[in-house]
Amino acid sequence: MKILVVDDSKLARLTLIKTLKEHEPSADIIEAENGDIAVELYKAKSPCVVFLDLTMPVMDGYEALKLIMEINPRAQVVVVSADIQMQAQALVLALGAKLMVPKPINSDKMLAVLQQLVF
Amino acid sequence: MQNNEFSSDHLDVLKELMNIAMGNATANIADLLQAFGTMHIPHLQISDVDGLKNYIKMTISSEDEYYVTKQLFGGKIGGEFIFLVNKESAINLGNYLYDTVKVSDADIMDAVIELTNILSSTTIGRLTDELNTKVQFFAPYTEVVSGDPLISEEETLNYHKIIIISTVLEFQKHKISGQIFILSRDEMIISLRELIDQKLEELYS
Ligand SMILES: [Mg+2]
Repeated sequence: MKILVVDDSKLARLTLIKTLKEHEPSADIIEAENGDIAVELYKAKSPCVVFLDLTMPVMDGYEALKLIMEINPRAQVVVVSADIQMQAQALVLALGAKLMVPKPINSDKMLAVLQQLVF
Repeated sequence: MQNNEFSSDHLDVLKELMNIAMGNATANIADLLQAFGTMHIPHLQISDVDGLKNYIKMTISSEDEYYVTKQLFGGKIGGEFIFLVNKESAINLGNYLYDTVKVSDADIMDAVIELTNILSSTTIGRLTDELNTKVQFFAPYTEVVSGDPLISEEETLNYHKIIIISTVLEFQKHKISGQIFILSRDEMIISLRELIDQKLEELYS
């Protein structure tokens, strides 16, 4: 199962991958450090899930989400963000994200996310 | 330079924790202002006094008048939290919070201090929570300055090596935006690094 993890912070990617591996040890993980790279990797590798940060340089998560949803309207994108405002959540859900989870991610949050995804 | 004792990994961790802390602070201020705050990527650098002066020059306009609120915090890590708003933003903030179009200078000052208090306690509170430590806050004070004398000459005497964390708070609906600076110096850098190392150890274990 291919999973794309997008965050400009190495710490955030490590934390996410660690919790992900606890539940899905065999996951095949691809990493990107900004939205631009994420969109390219999405096109090239067609991962079944994308974990996407919002505040990133070069291309932010909102823009990347739009482009990924254009490439595949059924893409499963989980936004993982420090922005916990209701409006941010409403916006990413309107753009097609499947879920939004507040940072920092932990094992329980990851389990709840994985249970709502289709593999 | 001894910058190498604070590696790019340490900076990355601090930047991400600041991002999380700002998410909390922005949500709190969003409740206060009934508006959506745009989140910005925090900027982090380790610098000397000249570097700090240059950074401030680059970030703020020397023509505007600013309300500067400073609050010291101390504990295992410590430093100074500085919130800077230009006069226009401060007036907009006062107008909104007092629900009038003509606020007094004292009311503006009061509004700025209130906002800074929420900002510093949520930002530093969250940052220290994530680092498994605690700090104490000292009373904030506000002054109006013009141009870039954000840090006075006598204050800079205390600074040799400084961690600068800075970011923007922005609420477009009310035309309120401000700049946050968190400065931590010298001996604090070592304890901060220890806390970050513990955090990284947990992660790699
Ligand atoms: Mg980020």
